[in-house]
Amino acid sequence: MRPDSVAWERAAEVRGAADGWRRAGFIDEPTERAVQAIFPDPCVTPSAVWRVLNAGAVAAVILFSFGAFAVAVRGSSGAVQAGLLLFAVACLAATDRVEASPRLARRGAAGATAVLGAGFLLVGLALFLGETLRLRLDDGIDLLLIASTLAWAAGCRRWGSPFFAALAAASLFLFLARLPNGRLLWLLGGVALAGACARRLDASAWAPSHRRSAAVLLVGGIVAVYAAINAYSLDARLLESVARFSPDRGLRWPGAGVLAATANAVVPVAVLAWGVGARRTFLLDTGIVLAACSLLTLRHYVRVAPLWAVLVLAGVAVVMLALAVERMLRRAPGREIGGFTAEPLFSDERRQRALEVIPVVATLTPPAPVDRPGFAGEGGRFGGGGATERF
Amino acid sequence: MAGCDAASQGPMNPDVVSAIGRLRSAGVLTDGPATLFDRVARRQLVSLRFELRVLLYVGVLLLTSGVGGLVAAHHHEIGRLTIAGGIGLAAFACLACVIQTGLPFSWHAVESRHVAFEYVLLLGLLLLAADLAYVEVQFGALGPDWPYHLLVVGALYLAAAYRWDSRTVLGLALTTLAAWRGISLGLVHGGSGLDEARLRADGLLLGVLYLAAAALSVRLARKGHFEDVFANAGLLLLLGALVSGALEDRAMWTAWLVALVAVAGLVAWLALRLGRSLYFAQAVVAAYVGLLRLLFERPGSRSLAFLLAALLGAAGLVVVTAAHRRMRER
Repeated sequence: MRPDSVAWERAAEVRGAADGWRRAGFIDEPTERAVQAIFPDPCVTPSAVWRVLNAGAVAAVILFSFGAFAVAVRGSSGAVQAGLLLFAVACLAATDRVEASPRLARRGAAGATAVLGAGFLLVGLALFLGETLRLRLDDGIDLLLIASTLAWAAGCRRWGSPFFAALAAASLFLFLARLPNGRLLWLLGGVALAGACARRLDASAWAPSHRRSAAVLLVGGIVAVYAAINAYSLDARLLESVARFSPDRGLRWPGAGVLAATANAVVPVAVLAWGVGARRTFLLDTGIVLAACSLLTLRHYVRVAPLWAVLVLAGVAVVMLALAVERMLRRAPGREIGGFTAEPLFSDERRQRALEVIPVVATLTPPAPVDRPGFAGEGGRFGGGGATERF
Repeated sequence: MAGCDAASQGPMNPDVVSAIGRLRSAGVLTDGPATLFDRVARRQLVSLRFELRVLLYVGVLLLTSGVGGLVAAHHHEIGRLTIAGGIGLAAFACLACVIQTGLPFSWHAVESRHVAFEYVLLLGLLLLAADLAYVEVQFGALGPDWPYHLLVVGALYLAAAYRWDSRTVLGLALTTLAAWRGISLGLVHGGSGLDEARLRADGLLLGVLYLAAAALSVRLARKGHFEDVFANAGLLLLLGALVSGALEDRAMWTAWLVALVAVAGLVAWLALRLGRSLYFAQAVVAAYVGLLRLLFERPGSRSLAFLLAALLGAAGLVVVTAAHRRMRER
């Protein structure tokens, strides 16, 4: 990343924190202005709505321009490949220019050009490998995954996007899955990635966006480890199904089932313990998701009760757990236990609650009646989303 | 977990930690608040508020799914009255808890005392709605007018949203009322298969009604903070109906397009005056999607159509940039 961009990001971090302090009522507006004067940020950072709008408009301009070019050359493979390369170079160069300008950086446009630039590059490479070099499909996929890993990793390093870090990790693990002993490589690669990134989460020498990318990679490493040892993934040979070399398809390690069952229970608990010990909420969130996956895996193999009973019991357990934790924290001295609190601190509580409307409405709205003019009399529907059920 | 110790000892946000020290020595921050800010920045104090909210939401989702599964699997064995009574009792328990712990009604925003309040209310209302649907289906009280139970449920949600000041329940009320008119706004349901022209007309009508409710909420200072929920749902319906007409109505698409551009222009202008970026974004996106039909409908070179679409996007970018600058200045 450019040193200027890093400095702007650091100032934005401090100004963002000051905004939270003011919103929570701990400082007044003159104090916030004093903080802003000490930590000037020349960039304009619009709200998410404006950034998405900017990114969408830029993406429309680029994609329709490319569409015009592709139609003009009548889909000729060589010309399309050259066009993809040209558009990729133009987009990547534009990203670099935009990111260097405090007037234009962080407005959403750079994100769109960066994604499209890397996308054009990879699609162009895929066409080049498949249609010009006529490589075997397996060779082409391998080379494309390597290129994808490098492209997204370079993008993350240059422009500091955690999203690019996630794409790079996904490409890397897909490539590893295609190698012999892919499952073992996922396990080792996941441990190595998580270990390396855990040390960089708070590195003051790193830009804030690079630290966030490290957090994303850490989660990616943990998920890779879990996927490698998950009993269902092992049983269904999920990773082996994408392997290029699969002489061991069907081969089972001795005692793998027992190890996987044990690891299924141990990994989520270990991640949760890590999250509690390090007081990192993203690790706690990861641990909760992995625990849910382990319970689903358990339910797949051990059918102790019908599905509805499992859902009701799980629902009650989750609600009771949340209520118990909240009550415990609320009643503790200073409203905190071991550095955890249920208070909102400096987060924008009203904004979070406004955003909650979207998932609730999206999943719990009842469906529109299909046959409104008449009455079929064959039953209605209950709830919405996951709750939808006919009776 | 080699990095665990290293990770837990370091500050969470080194930039903010060093800034707090600098602000303290410069006299901008006093010791009291600075100590708290420093604890949070060093991750010595962490909020679990978001995680608790997510758990409660997931719990409600699981519970309602489980109850739905129970009814579907066993309603013959358990018996209709037992099921209706059981769900009703559970709903009553949740709503009784809400009534007991809820704060008095006010036309202004009321902050709930407990993080779980909204979710207990949501669970109670969902169970009550499910009970009403079950009773209607099993006992056929409304006969051929059975979809009217959605109107009853929507009205119930609306009343609860006002009584207990819940924007989430208000959102659910508005989409349930739209569902009553045959319009699916949820992510997980497809179209209703009803007559498209009638759906469009209903969408326009409901959209205008919701927008009027948004305006009245603010003008009369009656739950003014509900404005964005009403207005966003209204714009989604109004602009969605117009876009649908412009894209899908073979005979009248030009008339729909003219109406869409006019309405989108009006919405964008009002959004700029009111400083509402989301309304502006919806108007711009709807107008752009509608105008694409105009470009690709005209006979002639396909390549030119793509080029014009790109130019239209560039014009949109200029408009968005200018609008953002103007909104910031205001």
